[in-house]
Amino acid sequence: MLKLVSMLSLLCLGFAAASWASQPIVIGAYLPMTGGVASYGQMAWSGITVAKKMEPDVLGRTVDVRLVDTKSDKVDAANAVSRLIERDKVVAIIGEMISGNTIAGSDHAERSAIPMVSPTATNPIVTQNKKYIFRVCFIDPDQGRIAAKLAKDQLGAKTAALIYDISQDYCVALASFFKNEFTALGGKILAETKFKTGDRDFTPQVSRIKSVNPDIIYAPIYYTECALIAKQAREMGLNKPILTGDGAQAPELLSLGGSAVEDVYFTAHFHKDMINTTRGKKFLEQYKKETGKELDAFSAMAADAYFIILDAIKRAGSDDSKKIREALATTKDFEGVTGAITIKPDGNPIKAMVVNKVKDGAFVYVTTIKP
Amino acid sequence: MTRDRILTAAAVGILLAFLWFADRTFSAYSIRILNTIAIFSIVAVTYNLINGVTGQFSLGPNAFIAIGSYTSALLTLSPQEKAASFIIDPIVWPLSVISVSFPVSLIAAGVLAGLIAFLISVPVFRVRGDYLAIVTLGFGEVMQVITNNAVSITNGPLGLKGLYPHTTLWWSWGLCIFTIICTVRLVNSSYGRAMKAVREDETAAEAMGIDAFWTKTLAFTFSAFFAGVAGGLLAHLITTISPSLFTFFLTFNLLIIIVVGGLGSTTGALIGAVLFAWGGEALRVVEEPFTLFGYDLPGIPGMRMVIFSAILILTMIFARSGIMGRREFSWQAAIDLGSTLLQRIRRT
Repeated sequence: MLKLVSMLSLLCLGFAAASWASQPIVIGAYLPMTGGVASYGQMAWSGITVAKKMEPDVLGRTVDVRLVDTKSDKVDAANAVSRLIERDKVVAIIGEMISGNTIAGSDHAERSAIPMVSPTATNPIVTQNKKYIFRVCFIDPDQGRIAAKLAKDQLGAKTAALIYDISQDYCVALASFFKNEFTALGGKILAETKFKTGDRDFTPQVSRIKSVNPDIIYAPIYYTECALIAKQAREMGLNKPILTGDGAQAPELLSLGGSAVEDVYFTAHFHKDMINTTRGKKFLEQYKKETGKELDAFSAMAADAYFIILDAIKRAGSDDSKKIREALATTKDFEGVTGAITIKPDGNPIKAMVVNKVKDGAFVYVTTIKP
Repeated sequence: MTRDRILTAAAVGILLAFLWFADRTFSAYSIRILNTIAIFSIVAVTYNLINGVTGQFSLGPNAFIAIGSYTSALLTLSPQEKAASFIIDPIVWPLSVISVSFPVSLIAAGVLAGLIAFLISVPVFRVRGDYLAIVTLGFGEVMQVITNNAVSITNGPLGLKGLYPHTTLWWSWGLCIFTIICTVRLVNSSYGRAMKAVREDETAAEAMGIDAFWTKTLAFTFSAFFAGVAGGLLAHLITTISPSLFTFFLTFNLLIIIVVGGLGSTTGALIGAVLFAWGGEALRVVEEPFTLFGYDLPGIPGMRMVIFSAILILTMIFARSGIMGRREFSWQAAIDLGSTLLQRIRRT
């Protein structure tokens, strides 16, 4: 009995000693690892993992990233943030991937004064009136605006038709921001057609668009529907250029759409050919080596969220959350994976947007538009 | 009877003392879980009333929670907050200036949800069969489309944010206790017996002089009222709402809660809600990296869901009618159970 007790106490001592030896800086990550948008969370986590291998310590201490799943759900996202702050005592948080969950999670972080950086929450409301919430992506109004500018100035469109998914918040928001900007620039929206996630036949929408004959079709939707619409439009003889957003840029678009998606334009966060920073090049290489996959936008954005927090800790010279927040808010021309990032006082970055298109069955980089 | 009343009052007293203690000493994380438990309990107990007690398969609580959430949120938000959030289209006139207190907004949320449920039930309950399931499922989808597209009322897909966290332990648990008392009183009244009669055999019930139509409408409206109130509480707990919160998945989770707890049992619905809301957080442990017998196991996200499914399957195999079946908690049963256990311990 005595032997057992002494062994146990030795074991306990061993654990205690191990935890004294290295006091890691703990960063939290709340990501949708399961549920509706699980693929975003998984891509982001692989990006963070590789980024952590690339820069594993700061201020001479190792960094520990605690992952908590949100099930792609708001209630769980809010719980996850509470848990990270109270149980894991994190100094900063990465997440979430989608806006609704980030807003749900950000409230508690704001109250507890723990800085949070979201990789891809594009809804403008996420950072509005929040001191501790930041992001490394552009916001929906910017994306809609730039798409309208691109359509008007670079693609020479005077009239446009909209087609979007009314059951997806992202799609409705982009469509309305595009509409406002395009009309403000003197363009005309000839038709506004809608559908719902899961629809497979778009004949009514396509024939309506065909009858008004617009110069361009703006379709801020996800890849499955985008491919199907492009296919059905080409079959029905509607050959106008299609412009879409970052949600459509997935490999599945190419396999589903085939030749019909040729010349589809995207406004997007990222293309691997646009990488021009040393950190970006190194990360691209390391990501390929570690995972054997091509670097995608979500991994790159999440890596940037990690790097920008590390940079803030370094500049703050401490793991105090308030100081990290000050450092984050004064980030200027930080060399991230997806380009130079400057954080504005409202928590949003000044960041260039990428325009890609499909050519010969692959995504090619067209240009970068400065906001 | 008197003994049971005293015991119930004592139990409520102990619960209140616990809440007082929790409110002062627990971390915000634990308080959040307690709040979630209370809110899910409110919805589960009243959802069980229509699905379990009255035997009408409704798939609509997500729609009524949505109505409640939006009503209550739009009523408590300050005009400045609303002006700042509505960036696609400005908010329509009467809502842009209204700002009422939290309790008033909760009542409004319940009343509106109940009223809409009443309007739906009038055409639906004229016919028998699975029509309620079809109509409520459709209504949930309609609410999704409305909340996403009525931009000048709901702020569309951007959702509402910046709600003040009014939902404290007192509000959530106070309303939870109130809901349970109301539901139990209703189930044990003549109306409740009529509901059970309708569940067992509608034709026989009508032959006995029960107005099946009004009985079903009462259960449905009652259930929607409390779903609306719970929606208001939920909105002020997570402080932001958007259409994606109220998808069919919400109803699906509630269905799991009442089926696991035992369809038709209020106690079962409560147990189910506690297991779901608390268990979901407690099981996070299995998703974290941990050391077992010297092996470092990496955390697997989604493990919680696997364990939940396993519990669900085991319930379906070994306790087909859920944890409680149609039985209810009673003090007599608890005392009997206690004394048998004591005797057994004494014997050994």
